[in-house]
Amino acid sequence: MTLFVQQLINGLSLGGIYALIALGYTMVYGIIELINFAHGDVYTLGTFFSLAILTLLGVTGIVSGPMLIVVVAVAILGAMLLCGLTGVIIERLAYRRLRNAPKLAPLITAIGMSFILENLMQYWKGPSPIPFPQVIPNPSFAVGAVTVEAKQIMVILLAVVLMMVLQTFVRYSRLGKAMRATAQDKDAAQLMGIDINTTIALTFLIGSALAGAAGFVSGVYYGSTWFFNGFAAGLKAFTAAVLGGIGNIAGAMLGGFLIGLIEAMTTQFIGDQWSNVVVFSVLVLVLIFRPSGLLGESLPNKV
Amino acid sequence: MRLSPISRAVAATALAAVLAACTNSTSTTSSSGSSSEPAAAGQTIKIGVDLPVSGADASIGIPTQNGVVLAVEEANKNGFAGGKFKLDTSLLDDAVQGKHDPAAGAQNVKTFIADSSVLAMVGPFNSNVAKSEIPLTNDAGLVQISPSNTNDGLTIGDDAKKLRTAHPDTNTYFRVCTRDSKQGLALAQVAAQRLGLKRVFIIDDNETYGKGLADVFDASFRQLGGTVLGHEHITANQQDFKALLTKAKADNPDGVFFGGNTSTGGGLVRRQMSDVGLGSVPYLGGDGISDPEFETVAGATANGSYMTVAAPDASKLPSAKQFIAAYQARFKSNVGPYSANAYTAAKIEIAAIEKAITDAGGKMPTRADVLKYVAATKDFDSPIGKVGFDANGDTTSPVLSLLEVKGGKPITIDVITLKS
Repeated sequence: MTLFVQQLINGLSLGGIYALIALGYTMVYGIIELINFAHGDVYTLGTFFSLAILTLLGVTGIVSGPMLIVVVAVAILGAMLLCGLTGVIIERLAYRRLRNAPKLAPLITAIGMSFILENLMQYWKGPSPIPFPQVIPNPSFAVGAVTVEAKQIMVILLAVVLMMVLQTFVRYSRLGKAMRATAQDKDAAQLMGIDINTTIALTFLIGSALAGAAGFVSGVYYGSTWFFNGFAAGLKAFTAAVLGGIGNIAGAMLGGFLIGLIEAMTTQFIGDQWSNVVVFSVLVLVLIFRPSGLLGESLPNKV
Repeated sequence: MRLSPISRAVAATALAAVLAACTNSTSTTSSSGSSSEPAAAGQTIKIGVDLPVSGADASIGIPTQNGVVLAVEEANKNGFAGGKFKLDTSLLDDAVQGKHDPAAGAQNVKTFIADSSVLAMVGPFNSNVAKSEIPLTNDAGLVQISPSNTNDGLTIGDDAKKLRTAHPDTNTYFRVCTRDSKQGLALAQVAAQRLGLKRVFIIDDNETYGKGLADVFDASFRQLGGTVLGHEHITANQQDFKALLTKAKADNPDGVFFGGNTSTGGGLVRRQMSDVGLGSVPYLGGDGISDPEFETVAGATANGSYMTVAAPDASKLPSAKQFIAAYQARFKSNVGPYSANAYTAAKIEIAAIEKAITDAGGKMPTRADVLKYVAATKDFDSPIGKVGFDANGDTTSPVLSLLEVKGGKPITIDVITLKS
């Protein structure tokens, strides 16, 4: 039983990172029906940006006291801002002109953007793994026989809080309403006076900023990164978005946590090598019975 | 689209130029240092080098590649084949997206085979890449010497036979390092006898090399009276091992064995062991985790790790002194664990090519001649001692170094001479 709870925590923290990345996939798909394959690499770029910021601040190890809050805030917000801008640039360069082209064209430019980002990162930091400073003190809390790391709490909390902020923003703010309107019908939204170019750019800004936050978190959580990190994580996060119902924000979060949990439980009770098999079997089963994903039908339209 | 003959010719020339540019960029032929060499009048003979030199494997691949480059430069300086030929290398990378890739290795070997000036090759680094290359070199009769492949199935048993279907009686594949059945056994002895471990949890990366080594360790450790608590396989590109290590910790192991490379998870597993409370438990692995990358990824948690290198520690051997000095002077960096092996492999091939040239009366020798002389190598003086090959292509003098990471640095604590 303790083992089960321990694996639950392992699974939720892994799932938290997937969920943060999945939010970006789902938002972009929701608004322009594009699978933004470069998103996984924006996530890695988030780790690289936060590493650069930490280096600028002179942080090489664990920070304590009130400085910790400043350092973490600067690193996360900085990475979010830089990743958000990268997302906007990617949209402007690679997707906007192709918005009315056949669906396959932007899909291929997305794959191209992914390669470009990977190679830029390889050029920037070299092809080898890069150590990431620990930054956050990592005391473990013992709850009975179960131990929880501070890092794990940070990942789970951050994922849930950012998801809730995002959900509130999309549901209640003017810009959020504009996003939903654009998702439902671009032409009609434009006729109503919504600037759809700005709205779509905003979607990329927010989605990529969340990947930036995930990038910082994963750097601290795993202690190292390299230019190709986003490939596997991006694939899993995309799967999470589909599992939860692509276009649905709560669904992306649910899908992320579910995949993390399935992986951890498969490792514990079946065997680590089967984790991908089980994850994708669950995906196939869910899609057979609910083609639009777990929460895909709770909203009549995208986003 | 209709084109006039002239514009067609222009288009064809442009296309050819583009294609030529493409091939040039993929096969970077090394001409480094050629200006200082005596002007070679005759043709060029090349040694093909296929190693992973980008991505996570680069930290170990590049120093290995440098070993071959050094051997070739020295040969030219010392008047290779009486100055009748110029020796060169054709350096190709078998890493795709930062990791060694069997398909890329096979493609590189096809490039070597198609180039008639390539008479021998050094490589590959990884056993799964070798599996895709041996059938090709066997078919073409091109000799290859690996500095570092340790998987048994490459030279021994039915697995090896399956790789040599084109010419079952000819062997084109040789290696200057030992095999995993010896490395795995030696590691099991280190675990059971030297470290006194009783309960070990085994993890491997499910690749040719990693799983092969882990299986040998598994069987040998049981034979020596140890208990194997579990043997798990991880998946490609996996980054999170906390669930797996939590499972391992529940069994209370006094040691964790990893079969695989740093690039397939060896460093991250060690790092995350301390996250789940296994940080003080010794960590063992083969030559796949003895690269500088391992200490980079695992950081301070690397201490207390033990690994082998399927080569003698060149820095401890008197025979290697000259090689190390020359390497440091040429590349301004320290030798890698497999630099001396690669240097030796190239030296053996260069010697064989020179003999073959003499046989051919100073003309371009055939690949078969070169192969014949490589296969006959015996008591060849090299930085790693006297080297020779048996009928399977295995080295006749297998040696292993045992390393322990202390204070963030791997330190050779023993050199184990094995029975051949």
